[in-house]
Amino acid sequence: MMDGNKLNELRELVEFLKANDIAEFDMEQDDLKVRIKFAGEPAPAGGIDVAQLSRLMASAPAASVSAAAAAPVAAPVAASAPVEEALHEVKSPIVGTFYESPSPGAAPFVKIGDQVEVGQVLCIVEAMKLMNEIEADVAGEVVKRIATSGQPVEYGQPLFAIRAR
Amino acid sequence: MFRKVLIANRGEIALRVISACREMGIRTVAVYSEADRNSLHVRFADEAICIGPPRSSESYLNVPAVISAAEIADVDAIHPGYGLLSENANFAEVCRASNIKFIGPPPEVTRMMGEKSTARQTMKKAKVPILPGSDGVIENEGEALEWAKSVGYPVILKAVAGGGGRGMRICRTAEELPGLFNQASTEAANAFGNGDLYMEKFIERPRHIEFQVLADEHGNVMSLGERECSIQRRHQKLIEEAPSLMVTPKLREELGKTIKKSLENIGYWNAGTIEFLMDEDGKIYFIEMNTRIQVEHCVTEMVTGIDLVKAQLRIAAGEKLNAIVTGPVEIRGHAIECRINAEHPEKFTPSAGKITAFNVPGGNGVRVDTAQYSEGVVPPYYDSMIAKLICHGKDREEAMNKMQRALSQFVVQGIHTTIPLHQKIFADEEFRSGKFDTKFMERFLDRQKDSQA
Repeated sequence: MMDGNKLNELRELVEFLKANDIAEFDMEQDDLKVRIKFAGEPAPAGGIDVAQLSRLMASAPAASVSAAAAAPVAAPVAASAPVEEALHEVKSPIVGTFYESPSPGAAPFVKIGDQVEVGQVLCIVEAMKLMNEIEADVAGEVVKRIATSGQPVEYGQPLFAIRAR
Repeated sequence: MFRKVLIANRGEIALRVISACREMGIRTVAVYSEADRNSLHVRFADEAICIGPPRSSESYLNVPAVISAAEIADVDAIHPGYGLLSENANFAEVCRASNIKFIGPPPEVTRMMGEKSTARQTMKKAKVPILPGSDGVIENEGEALEWAKSVGYPVILKAVAGGGGRGMRICRTAEELPGLFNQASTEAANAFGNGDLYMEKFIERPRHIEFQVLADEHGNVMSLGERECSIQRRHQKLIEEAPSLMVTPKLREELGKTIKKSLENIGYWNAGTIEFLMDEDGKIYFIEMNTRIQVEHCVTEMVTGIDLVKAQLRIAAGEKLNAIVTGPVEIRGHAIECRINAEHPEKFTPSAGKITAFNVPGGNGVRVDTAQYSEGVVPPYYDSMIAKLICHGKDREEAMNKMQRALSQFVVQGIHTTIPLHQKIFADEEFRSGKFDTKFMERFLDRQKDSQA
């Protein structure tokens, strides 16, 4: 059975979760890993009090809602920040290594801010020694380069964010 | 030993290989389609790479995608599991060209044994008994009669160009042969544009018996005994056992020696299975070889105590057989496996969807190999097997009793499964007697229909 202190800390954490309308909450301790899912609206009007949350997490026991072991580390390191709604993600159609330029030292195919057309080459994904040119599937402005040159990418991995015209 | 292995498969076999690797300190890389994002084989691998959309042809069978994943993950070897790319000689060649060790036989051997008539000729040369038949196409009724005389009735005429039962005729006497020959030929010509026929001895009530082999890369081969796989529906195995009640120790030893010689001749590597048909008189005939690990490898593991997947990894890493199997192979007790499919137990229609409850039985001598779990999803894109339930007892009677108990505790809700079908089979007298053949399921299903009428 949990000791009195830990029980109080857990109660505080539960109150915090309720107050912020959080429906699901995972947590791990080392290398920190938090997952929060809200019950209704995307986020409470005032945002979460991050300071309070971090204080609670520091003291609370490892309250893992899902009884899962650490999730596998995907070989490619995927981007964590979600993309804005208006942006279109260009995803890799193949597994391989991402390169932003046609060859080492050459200028990148596209820069942030460039306008691109459908079919325009954005980058190369190299697979089995073959250089595959990846084309834009929408026309618009290149807003973000999500993958980094030399990074391994998997099928469906986001490479660029484009604000479609 | 390998530092890192990529498993080019999914479902329970991917998890099986990942587990063996983990126990051996080998780092694992899973590949998955978008439909398998939440699979256990993905979750329990050290690394995981998405290689394509749900369709197998665009993901698990997509050689460039699998090889590319192996390259970016910098693996030493690929284990192909069963099905999918496991017997694809092309894929094994690409692995070799890419400097990735393919865990299986050399591509040339896979290709040779994968071609049915070459395999037959190879085995015939090695004095392995093969199903008697004509040497290729039969030109006319006269030749047909002569072949039938030497092969012995009953015989079956088959279309060279096709399958699916068309252009096939079973013939039991010399009188009916010419007529049937013409019928089969015409039917074949209409169905496949080619009326050429060949002939094989026909076994009315065959038993399907297969032998497990292991071969290292230094020329050593050993047989690990047989499995009885006669309980099949439409050529799909449902239940497998080891040992077979029909194989005497003498037959096991003799056939083991013959098989060993034949595989030494062709330079076989790694795990494999040689399939035979046994006729009503107990005579045994080679039909084909599977150059990979099989679904039912578990029953052999239970009776011999040898971990076949670990053996595969060790063989591929260059170890010798006598370091892997250190003493004579002993068959202890009896093991039975039930393949649990996501299908309606009577209609056999596939049942994809979300599993809402999943209770797996345990206990002494009860093993479940599965990659499913509660809240897991059975996707519609792949084969329907979701679990293997294997029971081991001191004899067949005990194994059957354990199986009945285990089946009764195996709860799967949210989808249909063939668990109720297996329960009925294990209560069936013909099955329990052990006196069955490959036509068992037809008779059993007829009995079921009659009892419901």
